[in-house]
Amino acid sequence: MNAALNIPYRMGAALLLIADQTGGIAIMAGQVVRRLVPPRIDRYELFRNAYRMGVQSVPIIAATAGFTGALMVIQGAPIVERYNARNIIGWSAMFTTFRELGPLLIALMFNGRVGANNTAELGTMVVTEQIDGLRALAIDPITYLVVPRYLSIAIMMTALVIIGDFVAILGAMGMAWGILDVWPRQFYYSAMPMLQTWDFSVGVIKGFFYGNMIALTSCYFGLSTRGGAPGVGRSVNASVVAAASGVFIVDYLSTFILH
Amino acid sequence: MTITFRNIHKAFGPKKVLQGVSFTVRDGECFFIVGASGVGKSVLIKHLVGLLRPDDGDIFLDDTEVSRLTEREFYEVRKKCAMVFQSSTLFDSMTCEQNVALPLRKHMGLTMKDALTEARERLSQVHMSHFATAYPAEIGDGMRKRVAIARALTLKPSYVLFDEPTTSLDPVSARRTDVMIRELCDQFGVTSIVVSHDLVSIFGIADRIAMLYQGNVRLLGTREDFKNTDDPVVRQFMSGEAEGPMQV
Repeated sequence: MNAALNIPYRMGAALLLIADQTGGIAIMAGQVVRRLVPPRIDRYELFRNAYRMGVQSVPIIAATAGFTGALMVIQGAPIVERYNARNIIGWSAMFTTFRELGPLLIALMFNGRVGANNTAELGTMVVTEQIDGLRALAIDPITYLVVPRYLSIAIMMTALVIIGDFVAILGAMGMAWGILDVWPRQFYYSAMPMLQTWDFSVGVIKGFFYGNMIALTSCYFGLSTRGGAPGVGRSVNASVVAAASGVFIVDYLSTFILH
Repeated sequence: MTITFRNIHKAFGPKKVLQGVSFTVRDGECFFIVGASGVGKSVLIKHLVGLLRPDDGDIFLDDTEVSRLTEREFYEVRKKCAMVFQSSTLFDSMTCEQNVALPLRKHMGLTMKDALTEARERLSQVHMSHFATAYPAEIGDGMRKRVAIARALTLKPSYVLFDEPTTSLDPVSARRTDVMIRELCDQFGVTSIVVSHDLVSIFGIADRIAMLYQGNVRLLGTREDFKNTDDPVVRQFMSGEAEGPMQV
């Protein structure tokens, strides 16, 4: 191909691929919604997935949130010391963590742990014919596999944001006490008058949206896997990148809407 | 109660796998499909349960044309036409008993507890009750295949499709599997279609045999027809000789 045409050709191909994948994710969302009205959920699969995706993620999410809270204080410490503004360190750390950084970093960590695992598991089931085996047993793979995973990821992501927010507060309090000599009580009461319930709610709502994005993307790429073990690797890679990109896009849009 | 494939065509890209395959499987018959690797045997039986759709041609099951059914409509076909895959397709995340319990829970409305009790009973019929709580990764190929057979038979299907059921089994397990397939036909009236390369199985339990070659049926007949044929391609396949007219 002519070198001059190569770049637009590749750009066009990439755009078509993105359109194809976005359409596929939208179709999967429609299929999931169809099976939720009325709800047809395998409770056993739902609880099994909620446990391994959500409960088992608590330690790593708590660590992420704790460090995030602490980092907010470390970043703000020089300014606080320069202007002797210890009475705003609690608010600034909690406001930023609740509204933005907490849900975002938890989502990225959750995507790496749960989204990637979900894609790999579904992809392996495709290439080892387990999905065909399910269909041959007259069991709908979307109802049996995707719906419980979708609900588990969306619900547990939301729950993890709430847990993460509290751990982030503890991390920030601990760091403020350690490097700024701001006592936890002082930290707490400096933040509360300025913080609103909505600040906390925005992060939780975002967490739910991020969970939806990770669930649909990881299930779509898993079930679209072709080409054996290398195909599973490609799907996991594409899923993690697409879900992370989707999280940032959702973050951008929801920040405008929920401002 | 018959299965009829009529003029089935199937291609994957430029590769034409099936080019007008036609035959009928009779009620209660143990019907074998044989042929070289890659000739389209597994592809053909996957059409019957809607895992693949023909490019052209019709498939009749109990006088119902099934090849144009929707995925949802195929679920009723799959309940009476079970399939045992070459790779077993047991679910890795479940124990053997949970694998067998799955269709019982989903289609017979049993609770998990009742389904597991029933599943253990089904596993004992294939001599796998001692491995009920093992995961598929913890047992051998032959054992996995037996669990897959137990799972496929949970809904008491009228038809069972076996995709290379004796491949990778030791000779004793292979013959036990043959006996089980034959018993399904003789005692329960189940119609079985078996894809196989195993000559001992073929000449041991088949009622009739169809040999696929170059996208079509080369010979359809009884065991005696295959033993006495003059067709050099069929004779080479049956003797397993490297040299001959057969193109692979």
